[in-house]
Amino acid sequence: MAETARPGPMDAHGPEGGTRRDFLSLAATAVAGIGAACAVWPLITSMNPASDTLAAGAPIDIDISGIQPGQQIIVLWRSRPIFIVHRTPDQIATLKADKDAGQLRDPNSSADQQGAYAKNVYRSIKPELLVLVGICTHLGCVPEFTPQPGSISPNWPGGYFCPCHGSRYDLAGRVFQNVPAPYNLPVPPYHFVSDTVIRIGENPPDSTFDFNSIEQI
Amino acid sequence: MAAPQSQSKVVEWIDHRLPIFTFMRHELHEYPTPKNLSYWWNFGSLAGIMLVIMILTGIFLAMEYTPNVDLAFDSVERIMRQVNYGWLIRYIHMNGASFFFIVTYIHIFRGLYYGSYKAPRELLWMLGVLILLTMMATAFMGYVLPWGQMSFWGATVITNLFSAIPVVGNDIVTWLWGGFAVANPTLNRFYALHYLLPFVILGIVGLHIMALHTHGSNNPLGIDRKGPQDSIPFHPYYTVKDAFGLGVFLIIFAVFVFYFPNLLGDPQNYIRANPLQTPPEIVPEWYFLPFYAMLRSVPDILFIKAKLAGVIAMFSSIFILFVLPWLDTSPVRSARFRPVYKWVFWLLVIDVLVLGYVGAHRPEGWYVFTGRVATLYYFVHFLVLIPLIGIFERPLPLPTSISAAVTKGGGKLAGAAARMEKP
Amino acid sequence: MLKLTLAIIAALTLAAPALRAQEEATPPLPHQSWSFEGPFGTFDRAALQRGFQVYDQVCSNCHAMSLLSYHDLSGIGFGENEIKAIAAQKQVTDGPNDQGDMYQRPGRASDHFVAPFPNDQASRAAHNGALPPDLSVIVYAREGGADYVYDLLTGFSDPPPGVKLRENMNYDKYFPGHQIAMPPPLSDDIVTYSDGTKATVAQEAHDVVTFLAWAADPHQEDRKRTGAKVIIFLLVMTGILYAAKRKIWAEVH
Repeated sequence: MAETARPGPMDAHGPEGGTRRDFLSLAATAVAGIGAACAVWPLITSMNPASDTLAAGAPIDIDISGIQPGQQIIVLWRSRPIFIVHRTPDQIATLKADKDAGQLRDPNSSADQQGAYAKNVYRSIKPELLVLVGICTHLGCVPEFTPQPGSISPNWPGGYFCPCHGSRYDLAGRVFQNVPAPYNLPVPPYHFVSDTVIRIGENPPDSTFDFNSIEQI
Repeated sequence: MAAPQSQSKVVEWIDHRLPIFTFMRHELHEYPTPKNLSYWWNFGSLAGIMLVIMILTGIFLAMEYTPNVDLAFDSVERIMRQVNYGWLIRYIHMNGASFFFIVTYIHIFRGLYYGSYKAPRELLWMLGVLILLTMMATAFMGYVLPWGQMSFWGATVITNLFSAIPVVGNDIVTWLWGGFAVANPTLNRFYALHYLLPFVILGIVGLHIMALHTHGSNNPLGIDRKGPQDSIPFHPYYTVKDAFGLGVFLIIFAVFVFYFPNLLGDPQNYIRANPLQTPPEIVPEWYFLPFYAMLRSVPDILFIKAKLAGVIAMFSSIFILFVLPWLDTSPVRSARFRPVYKWVFWLLVIDVLVLGYVGAHRPEGWYVFTGRVATLYYFVHFLVLIPLIGIFERPLPLPTSISAAVTKGGGKLAGAAARMEKP
Repeated sequence: MLKLTLAIIAALTLAAPALRAQEEATPPLPHQSWSFEGPFGTFDRAALQRGFQVYDQVCSNCHAMSLLSYHDLSGIGFGENEIKAIAAQKQVTDGPNDQGDMYQRPGRASDHFVAPFPNDQASRAAHNGALPPDLSVIVYAREGGADYVYDLLTGFSDPPPGVKLRENMNYDKYFPGHQIAMPPPLSDDIVTYSDGTKATVAQEAHDVVTFLAWAADPHQEDRKRTGAKVIIFLLVMTGILYAAKRKIWAEVH
């Protein structure tokens, strides 16, 4: 059934009639398009983190007084594992000597994986306390704490070993060369609210470190 | 419409392998539509758009909702309070159900008035009734999901209906519940089905439109198109008219969503479901009220108990719509030319509104009697009045053609003798 | 056709309140004027904060508001530090700790409002079997909304002659059945408002109901503002579409 009215409505009845209809059609389509985009926007943005999710991501205070030298605890911040290690004097000395720097990908922490206050050989505010985001920068597994020298391999200085694909990090979370992971383990924003309590998720007052700007979580 | 050469090579390449562009041009652009359709013909497209809106909002709600009896109510409140624009998506979905039914009911009554269910559109009509049934199931299950007092008790009352079926009734109810009462298994399966059925509706709507396009739309005069002089292409005439109608509709919808979002709802559903406490009145959403009235009106009939009789009456009220094309004996489609049927149609409208009003109240006193009369009248309308009117009514003379009627000022007799149009 | 439209509109307007038919004969609810009612209503921030104080110091001893979290209070004008302070005053059950025990800790902004009782049964046990309802959505969960809650709070009185109160019940003019388990919760100066407003029962009721109305639907101001923008946009869009429709249909008419 191909019957249609003979005078086509699209035929311009003189330039003025045609232009006005085209303008109206254009205006109508444009306005409807804007309306549709505005209507879809709330749907899209509803998938962004909700208020309670953001509130739950607020900084948390952790009492570190109970961590024994050489011990690591893991806490959750923003649903991510955070490694907190009380480093022993031996471990601090090993890091200070930094003999294995040549085997590390980024011994000087030049990649933006930490705030300025953690850009040192210990990658922490105080040498005794290490705070890291415990997510391998390769593909996201949680590395195992292997602080015992010589445990993984004869020259192993102590650090982390990721079981998924074999990435290795030292006791400051710096990644070794020749492993799949590309970056050092990130240091989350944190500072000492007192000698025994650290607040994870908040920088020291003078720092402007933006955790969202790091290379790789 | 773009001229052929501006349709790019890409379009041609695709179209040669899967002719969707040709298909769309044929079914949307060129598709011949009667030139005299009134605004009552907007409601089909409005219903289609409401279906899309419900599916979209529903999917995004589903991302945040938890179908567990201990968590469902809280998850809905979380959507309202914590999720970005969650309150908007939820209110649109909640009021959208009501507006989906409003446009669908108007669409149906349009069909009843203008005889759109008559040959050759019987199957089109029956598909529509099937869509209505599926919508009702979907809406019923959707209302259960927030797990408020009305959610729970409405589910209990309606699922208990099936126990009226002799012999297998109780087994069916247990099977529906997945347990000894409406509980977590029930909620979970209702969630799964509530997500599924709208896509089933989408499929049936596809068939509905296919059936429509086979013979084209009916029109206010109820007479067939005779030739090109009676039609205009769907695009741009009805696309722009539908768009304008959509604008008006959205304004009304927006007033409800933004300013009266809870007007059509029940405060009881803001109370967490409590299996140990029945609310003082169990009332379904307004779009189920006429059926609810019928359900409660019917007394014991002969050997059939009132409970079963009510269930039969309620389902029959919809099934009767399926056979309407065969109940109506009139050779004339449109009520414009059917002076007796025209009044009877309005009596039906009033009857349905009365049933709705009765359904909102407790079945006591005056409401019982009125409910029974109104229920009886509904069936008398379809089973007695419609067949008889068709036979005994003297219809007005029909115009010779659509274009003749339109050019002479709309629907009036063109000249001397006019042929009667056979449907 | 107009008849049909009018009939449908009439039906909907009738059906809506008919859905919620009252069953007990309580007097008609006196209507209060609320700053938040109507399409351009907004909340009085000061009233919200006073109302929260009333809830916190009076109502929360029996009534939970578990759907709200402390961080939500930014919506009534509290700053981040105020919210932390409010939350820190509460003890929240958390755990289990490494010994497997649950323990108490100060509240945080992300916590839900601490409930006075751990579950409904404990609440009933403390209230002679009656359960003080959660107040998070009470204004939406009651026919009459904010007016009803206000009238109920201010409607306590001695029973009229001839009415015998059941044990542990109190007489309220607006509660369906008139006998309510809750004793009159408000009295003059039961709280001392930090902004110096005189704390009469009417003032306390007004403020706490304002707070409860906010709590039931914290986004309602945003909703009404967005609604105005949407409807204006739709009016413009519909106007353009109408003009386009008339233009396109000009030949056919």
